[in-house]
Amino acid sequence: MILFQNVNKDYNGRPALSNLNLHIGKGEFAFLVGPSGAGKSTMMRLLYREELPNSGQIFMGGVNLNKLPTYQVPRLRRRLGIIFQDYKLLPKQTVFNNVAYVLRALGVDEKNVEKRVISALSVVNIESKKNAYPTELSGGEQQRVGIARAIVNGPPVLLADEPTGNLDPATSLEIVQLLAEISQRGTTVLIATHDEPIVNALRKRVIALHAGQIVADVDSGVYELKGNS
Amino acid sequence: MRIFRIIYRVVVESLIGLKQSGWSNWFVISILATALILFGFIMQVTLTLKTLVNSWGSQLEISVYLKDSCKPYPEAQKIGAMKGVEQVLVIPKEEAWQKMRKSFSVAYVDNPLPNTLHIKLKSPTYVEQLAPIIKAMQEVENVRYPLKVARIINQIRRFVEIGGLFVMLAMSAATLIVIGNTIQLVIQSKQREIEILSLMGVSHFYIKGPFILQGILYGTSSALIASGLIAIVNLNCEKYVKLQLAYLAPSLTNNLEFGLTPIYLMLFGLGIAVGATGGAITSGRFIKL
Ligand SMILES: Nc1ncnc2c1ncn2[C@@H]1O[C@H](COP(=O)(O)OP(=O)(O)O)[C@@H](O)[C@H]1O
Ligand SMILES: [Mg+2]
Repeated sequence: MILFQNVNKDYNGRPALSNLNLHIGKGEFAFLVGPSGAGKSTMMRLLYREELPNSGQIFMGGVNLNKLPTYQVPRLRRRLGIIFQDYKLLPKQTVFNNVAYVLRALGVDEKNVEKRVISALSVVNIESKKNAYPTELSGGEQQRVGIARAIVNGPPVLLADEPTGNLDPATSLEIVQLLAEISQRGTTVLIATHDEPIVNALRKRVIALHAGQIVADVDSGVYELKGNS
Repeated sequence: MRIFRIIYRVVVESLIGLKQSGWSNWFVISILATALILFGFIMQVTLTLKTLVNSWGSQLEISVYLKDSCKPYPEAQKIGAMKGVEQVLVIPKEEAWQKMRKSFSVAYVDNPLPNTLHIKLKSPTYVEQLAPIIKAMQEVENVRYPLKVARIINQIRRFVEIGGLFVMLAMSAATLIVIGNTIQLVIQSKQREIEILSLMGVSHFYIKGPFILQGILYGTSSALIASGLIAIVNLNCEKYVKLQLAYLAPSLTNNLEFGLTPIYLMLFGLGIAVGATGGAITSGRFIKL
């Protein structure tokens, strides 16, 4: 589903990713770990075509992102659910409308908007707060809304960049477990994080990045990647 | 239909943007409307002059205005004997006055018109040859001939056109800047929304559309105001202007009619073009997708 081939990315001549090769299959769940500055966010931005690599190829569901014309970027992004550390919710809209916003912008009729939003909110178990505003919610609840919005369009791939960065450990664990559940239904999930406990708790595939290079890639791994190969 | 729902949303978003812009809307609309009103009047003046020139330029005619002290018919015979003259038509001042009052229903004043002779010539070459000679005659108050008038009018018209073009360009540039500033503020206040929509895969049309539409709405309202004003002025002043022209150049006011529709169409076209361009440039500059 996701494929990096010899990808290089520099910022002002300083390499952020060096000769990166990676394959993540359909329906897989993987953590992308590494210290701050390792290049995790850069990989995410390449995947949702916020940026282009300096060299190498990136494929998303068979589509070569280098060759994707700008006007088709929205179409790519509709097939991705993106989850952010700061949730990126609209403060003046209710929970329901935050999730509904994109569906309405895509021209979905109100009956279907209602059906799909309620269904997404129930997956993340926050249906009861649908009329609340983001500021009235806890961090964990806000991130649930962020996840509901990411899955409301039924995307085959979910990308989450530090989704637990602003959450306490218990809530963090709930959030990744929620993402793991969603992955069970066939969604490919990639989580960039340096949150050790959640990685160790789930024992999923762990891809370790250091200074723009993959230094380890282990199934059922832990953050330290000791004694797992 | 999906597309109608999207368009409906774009319209709603642009109305929200208009509401947010508050008093700036009136600033933008008054500047753009002023530019369009100016444009409309310049168009009308040039079109009128063009029509006049076209209907006169080809005529082989000299109009001779006689002094009130002399009798028109002997004068007509004198001129009729000149070389190159084909026909002389006498229009006594009473006759001209009655005709004009029939068509313009003017106020009851003393007859301001002179006795007039219309001289038809055998070929255009005689026009400028005979005109000075006739003008020099003692009984003649003044002479007008279409070629000369047409030449002067053409000069005026060119001046109005060039001057108008510069003023128009300056006003359009000013309007673009004002629209840009107004829409930029809306974009800034919606930055977060725009970023989220873009990341969620909402189409560029949906994201930028409201701002372009906001510009188009400015253009349309300004054109409406400008057209309305021009229509009112025309309704009230047409007769007066025609009378003035008729007084200046009797018998030359035929074929002065042309429709205002092309001017209105131009106003809407130009207003919408300027508005849409302003919206498109601004959203292109300040929305990075
Ligand atoms: N927009 C940018 N401009 C310049 N340098 C950048 C930019 N984004 C990231 N970098 C650099 O690229 C490297 C990788 O950054 P990033 O992908 O954000 O790492 P991570 O998400 O793993 O913390 C860092 O050295 C960072 O300074
Ligand atoms: Mg990062």
